Amino acid sequence: MKMSRDLVDTMLAHAKDGYPFEVCGVLLGPAGAGRVRRLVRVANREAEQPRVRYQIAPEDLLRVQREARGDGHEIVGFYHSHPDHPARPSETDRRIAAEGLSDGVVHVVVGVEKGERATPSAWVFRDRGQAFEPEPLEVDE
Amino acid sequence: MAVKVQIPGPLRALAGGAAEVQVEAPTVKALVDALQAKHAGFRERLLDESGALKAYVRVFVNDDDVRTLEGEKTLLKDGDVVAIVPAIAGGTVRPAGLV
Repeated sequence: MKMSRDLVDTMLAHAKDGYPFEVCGVLLGPAGAGRVRRLVRVANREAEQPRVRYQIAPEDLLRVQREARGDGHEIVGFYHSHPDHPARPSETDRRIAAEGLSDGVVHVVVGVEKGERATPSAWVFRDRGQAFEPEPLEVDE
Repeated sequence: MAVKVQIPGPLRALAGGAAEVQVEAPTVKALVDALQAKHAGFRERLLDESGALKAYVRVFVNDDDVRTLEGEKTLLKDGDVVAIVPAIAGGTVRPAGLV
């Protein structure tokens, strides 16, 4: 997955701004191009445990999807943060992805240490192995 | 009832890569059956063993989540736009001691 430095910095700033809560967003780009062209912050709708859980409301996702199609983009992935937790998918992430519609979907996980240091890593979920596999995150300077 | 169905990325391979398909169906349940008849694999991805929509699959008819209507029995009419939307969620394991 390719992203510009500006988009990566915007994503990391979102994760730090939202600390100690998890934040989330949608990655948009041309279909099948493996590149993120836009990033849309969405509200974390998890009401009970927003420090350790996130949820993108389907209504929000539908709105983002429609807006994206209007300017020729598709949803190419998602991001969410892990406050004071490693930048890799958790078992909760894996379990929910396995139950949903996630085959081939890229997830960027941003680990945030004490609200100051944010580290991204990219993963792609595969139904075949019911697991996330590492996805190279190429950042254009 | 001819309706347009918007297919999310993870299911497009089942539909030959199409982002949108048109089917004839009077209800949401019939729509899943129609998709399955055209493109095998849709039913198991969308419905659980009891025939209900899976927990992490949402279906919208125009702007309305069918869970707020009549679920799989929701009636469709000509020209409706049906969107299949994945529910996206996750998070870290709850840390010990966090209130």
